[in-house]
Amino acid sequence: MHHEHIMSAFDRDLEAIQAHLMRLGGLAEQALRDAMTALEASDAELATQVRAGDKALDQLEELIYDESAKLIALRAPAAKDMRLVLGAIKVAGSLERIGDYAKNIAKRSIVLSSGDQIGSAIGTLRRMSRHVETMLHDVLDAYVRLDVAAAHEIRARDEDVDQIYNSLFRMLLTHMMEDPRTITSAMHLHFIAKNVERMGDHVTTIAEELIYLVEGVRPDERVRADKTSVTPLAQDK
Amino acid sequence: MNDMRLEQAVTSEEIKIAARDVQVFYGDTHAIKDVGIDILDKTVTAFIGPSGCGKSTFLRTLNRMNDTIDVCRVEGSITLDGEDIYDKRVDPVQLRARVGMVFQKPNPFPKSIYDNVAYGPKIHGLTRSKAELDEIVESSLRKAALWNEVKDRLHAPGTGLSGGQQQRLCIARAVATSPEVLLMDEPCSALDPIATAQVEELIDELRAQFSVVIVTHSMQQAARVSQRTAFFHLGNLVEFGETSQIFTNPTDPRTESYITGRIG
Repeated sequence: MHHEHIMSAFDRDLEAIQAHLMRLGGLAEQALRDAMTALEASDAELATQVRAGDKALDQLEELIYDESAKLIALRAPAAKDMRLVLGAIKVAGSLERIGDYAKNIAKRSIVLSSGDQIGSAIGTLRRMSRHVETMLHDVLDAYVRLDVAAAHEIRARDEDVDQIYNSLFRMLLTHMMEDPRTITSAMHLHFIAKNVERMGDHVTTIAEELIYLVEGVRPDERVRADKTSVTPLAQDK
Repeated sequence: MNDMRLEQAVTSEEIKIAARDVQVFYGDTHAIKDVGIDILDKTVTAFIGPSGCGKSTFLRTLNRMNDTIDVCRVEGSITLDGEDIYDKRVDPVQLRARVGMVFQKPNPFPKSIYDNVAYGPKIHGLTRSKAELDEIVESSLRKAALWNEVKDRLHAPGTGLSGGQQQRLCIARAVATSPEVLLMDEPCSALDPIATAQVEELIDELRAQFSVVIVTHSMQQAARVSQRTAFFHLGNLVEFGETSQIFTNPTDPRTESYITGRIG
């Protein structure tokens, strides 16, 4: 099987879209890393940078959308080419959302720097975000290599993120019940945790898109390990 | 879930033409190798593939057009409604009234528009009166979406029409004998995009009445008009399936290469 189109301009267009996508992925990784550093170090300047930098991600997503629309209109892609273009649009959407969550974390980090620390929450958050960061890095890497086995493996890793989120959720709940003065900080920390958990879901979506791109069929529905939506407010002691 | 799909992909499961182990030879050249395919009733089936892959040759076996070529030899079995079309008792002229054909270039007879359409029904003795013949001419021209453009000049020569109109006239002529299957060999390759769209719309309408088999070099056309697509390569039938599947997730790497514009 030949891998290059007879029309070499077609290949160039597809490669350009992939290159934009990887650039967007890099920016999303950076935003997550910086937002968490800003939170940990109470670095308001870095947080402001992350918030301002989100515009670049939005613009890049729009560019990918426009370029994909143009490619569909002008080149009528089929089969794997079509899946590649559809995948690019969806993956770009996920990466842009990851950027939004990072921006939100940066915003909350500024509020939190003036409040009290709650137990080991920041440390747990750090562990959780590192996990998602690695997942994101690996899934972008797998995307370039069209590595389906890696995609399956990364998809499975999201369960760990959900578990860390569950335990953090319980911990914050306990703090808030014991000392209502922690509620403001705890709520912010909870939203940050939720943001990171959502990022993990987006990484999972990217892994699924990669599987669809290569195999032409979607993987089976993943069982979600995030149980907080069914966690009762007051636990029996 | 099925009713949420954009279009019901294949509506009929009734087999109209069944080909099994078909071989075609031109002298020593083995042009078609072991082709087996079921052409469904009331369905548009597209044959695609690079030049010389045998798609037109195979199409022409379906109404014995290859009989006219001396060095051409057809083996295997092709049945229409279960009857072997290569049986000695089958009259090829009668067969071609049931399995009509439209060619790449519009080829109207050097006769009036009316006579072009009336020719088939007349030689097959399908009508008993002038009024009946008039009716067939009108309904055929209507089916071919040409009636409104030519109703006031039915006795003008067919060759005076535009290319797109001539092609629709040829379709009207093929439809006039009430065929059960219509074979089309690149019917739009000589037409502009508007005339092409009109012929494609027509193909979609004709599918309600009979089965259409179309050979096309335009993959987009195959994707637009057909419910089933067969990909031919070097005389082999490589892949045959629902058009939406062939164009989104083909099974064979050769099909993938061809439809995505890589060398097949």
